[in-house]
Amino acid sequence: MQQRRDEILAKKAKLAELKRQRELRASHANATRQSIGTGSDILSPTPGRADSRREIESLINSLVGEPRSVSVSTGINSPVRRGSRPNSVLSAGELSAGTSEFATPASGQVAPPTPVPQVLSTIPLTTIYECPPSPVKEVFSYSKGVQTTEEWMTPSRPRAFSESDNEEQQPTTSTPNKRLSRRARDREEELRENIRKEIEEELRAAKELVTDGVLKPSAVPNFPARSLNNEELRAVTQSDDFMDFIDRSTKVIEKALDQEYDILTDYTLQVVDIEDDDEHKGNTGGKGRRKVREVAQFYDERWSKKRMISSIDFSPKFPELLLASYTKNPTAPHDPDGIVQVWNAHLHDRPEFVFHAQSDILTAKFSPFHPNLIIGGAYSGQVLLWDTRARSAPVQKTPLTGSGHTHPVYCVDIVGTQNANNIISCSTDGAVCGWSVDMLAQPQEALTLLAPAPAKTEDLSPTCMAFPQADPTFFLVGSEEGTIFPCHRYDRAGAKAGVDARVSYKGHAAPVMSVDFHPARGPVDLGDLVLSASLDWSVKLWKVRAPAATSAIGPGLGAVGGEAHVTPILDFVREDVVYDAAWSPIKPGVFSLVDGAGWLELWDITVETEEPVTRISPSPRKDGRTMLSKSLNKVAWEQSEGKRLATGGIDGALTMFEVGPDLGGKEGLKNEEWTNVKKLVNRIEAVGINGSTAV
Amino acid sequence: MAESVLGAGADALEETLGRLSKKAGVKATIVLDRATGAILKTTGQVGSILKPKSLGSTVPGQTAAPFSGEAPVTTSSPDQGAEELAAMVWNFVGTAGSLVEELDTEDELRLLRLRTKKQELVIVPDAKYVLIVVHDTPPA
Repeated sequence: MQQRRDEILAKKAKLAELKRQRELRASHANATRQSIGTGSDILSPTPGRADSRREIESLINSLVGEPRSVSVSTGINSPVRRGSRPNSVLSAGELSAGTSEFATPASGQVAPPTPVPQVLSTIPLTTIYECPPSPVKEVFSYSKGVQTTEEWMTPSRPRAFSESDNEEQQPTTSTPNKRLSRRARDREEELRENIRKEIEEELRAAKELVTDGVLKPSAVPNFPARSLNNEELRAVTQSDDFMDFIDRSTKVIEKALDQEYDILTDYTLQVVDIEDDDEHKGNTGGKGRRKVREVAQFYDERWSKKRMISSIDFSPKFPELLLASYTKNPTAPHDPDGIVQVWNAHLHDRPEFVFHAQSDILTAKFSPFHPNLIIGGAYSGQVLLWDTRARSAPVQKTPLTGSGHTHPVYCVDIVGTQNANNIISCSTDGAVCGWSVDMLAQPQEALTLLAPAPAKTEDLSPTCMAFPQADPTFFLVGSEEGTIFPCHRYDRAGAKAGVDARVSYKGHAAPVMSVDFHPARGPVDLGDLVLSASLDWSVKLWKVRAPAATSAIGPGLGAVGGEAHVTPILDFVREDVVYDAAWSPIKPGVFSLVDGAGWLELWDITVETEEPVTRISPSPRKDGRTMLSKSLNKVAWEQSEGKRLATGGIDGALTMFEVGPDLGGKEGLKNEEWTNVKKLVNRIEAVGINGSTAV
Repeated sequence: MAESVLGAGADALEETLGRLSKKAGVKATIVLDRATGAILKTTGQVGSILKPKSLGSTVPGQTAAPFSGEAPVTTSSPDQGAEELAAMVWNFVGTAGSLVEELDTEDELRLLRLRTKKQELVIVPDAKYVLIVVHDTPPA
């Protein structure tokens, strides 16, 4: 565009020059003609009449809107833009017109009659006087001459008209042919010049190519365009764009490098590779089909250091992604207190994402309904929402004051369906809030859990919470005193919202650290089995009564009077505090637990209820602390395949394991496994309350 | 995207690239400007990637000044080597890009992995920058 404008300007200048010359010539010619014209009355009318004729035409053109000249003109916008130029050119015409006007009144009376006598009288005059002095003028008057022959107009009216409209009307049509041709010529010349330049440049480049070395030709003409100086370099390398790129591209490359399998491996080559024997490689536990193997350990020097892992969750959408939430790093007061790191199984040395919070994150979870969203609960009582598409700060968080939580939130969950789901959060003061994912400014529902009647105090301090698969209105909370309470979100027949006072699951003598419903996916519904882990060095298996049936006290199961104290059906006593226990999402009899001694244990209750089938401890970090750093806080299964699980604890390292086909994975799943679990549970129930001893 | 490289820009940059170049087998990393090909950043021993033979006649006798103590003796000065390598890769990326463009104008080049017998070049071209990592491949 700029180039075009420049061209136009250049042309304008050129034309202005031409005009000036012309004007000079014209005035000169006029002067001569005037001198002649005064002499002869008959000659002068012609230009004037011609002018007016043109004016009319131009007027018509402007009204009809299709001036002939436009279609021929060089540029699309040129007719409009050049308005000023022809104007000045026309000043020559005007001049002549002006001069003729003095003459016309006289001729006006004479002229209307037949033109024949005129011709007779004019010929001798023009031939004799005008030709010799200026041949140029002849060119100028040519177009006028042609038109006069066509017809006679009453000169007075159009002339008056023309006088008023002179400036705007004349430009478009006055001698368009000549001007156009001149313009075209200019343009052509310009183009030719440009082409010549280009060719010359190319030739020069080609010559350079020839003269230079062999390797350089490809590189030299445009590489590097120029090397940057230090300041530019700094400007570029500090830009957000650049940082963004580095962040993204290094992730890609690290993933590429972390890819263990070599796609170019050629098995026809007899490479002796004894090391391939899995049994001797890495950190493994168990044997054969019950083997568990450490796959990866995730630790980031910058962000994991001196933090504890407070929760772990696998992405429901991308099985290779898992998150861990962390407490604060006491030695880095300027870093955010709480963070959530999303790790990728294919990217070992750095997190895929890091999310921040102002306060220690105590729990975090991927939204099962939206793969980009992560919810978390903070020590400050806030419920936070992060988006993997956004930056590291939470996209939403609940307010610290007013409604909502004012105590640490140790448990959050998202319940409901794809189209109607709520965040449920629970703080240690017994407050349970339901939030809409879209709006965390205010809870949609709020509930306070109070300990039922016989307790010494009404206060109830939930430490963990679990929803069954089937029912988003019913949940269990494990409390600090060791009892597990069933709770309702809403009033229902026979029970008010809040803790259901009629049933409680008593068995633990110390705070309950986790409750987990059996993931009911199989031919037999085992959704009423609940696993709880406690600081009393035990994990217990419970059979939870259906929430609707709680009003009618079932037979047996330790029902005493109006209030049922349900006791566990199985008791797994361990050698240390148990921080977490989780069912395998695939194998019905398998669960995992982690304890304060740093062991990850895998159990299969269809095989053995006294001892774990496999146990393993994450490989210690080389630079990690040795004292009291082994304790594991959390364990989580990958949900879709059930082959991988991850654990982490005090030392901040997140370790991922893979289990053998007997402990996880969908292959070789048999229906008997479900029925075996069911049979086991039934047998224990039949034998009595102290089922664990009777097995 | 989470900004895991926040904080002081230069430090984070050094850290990120440093960690990358510390990975097993990684020999060098280079960051180029996509448009001009100017070298924005290098780490590792860029010079050691270009074997002297391929350097051509441009710098025949210039053996490495042992200023860092780690540059192999057989190569030219690292700067020179980096520039040569950058030029080659840059042209390669350009050619590959135009190939993709010709196949489908709406398509875009995302990743280049150039595997050779001895090593691998992983190239991530972006709208504005190009990152190149050279690493040893496991013997196979």
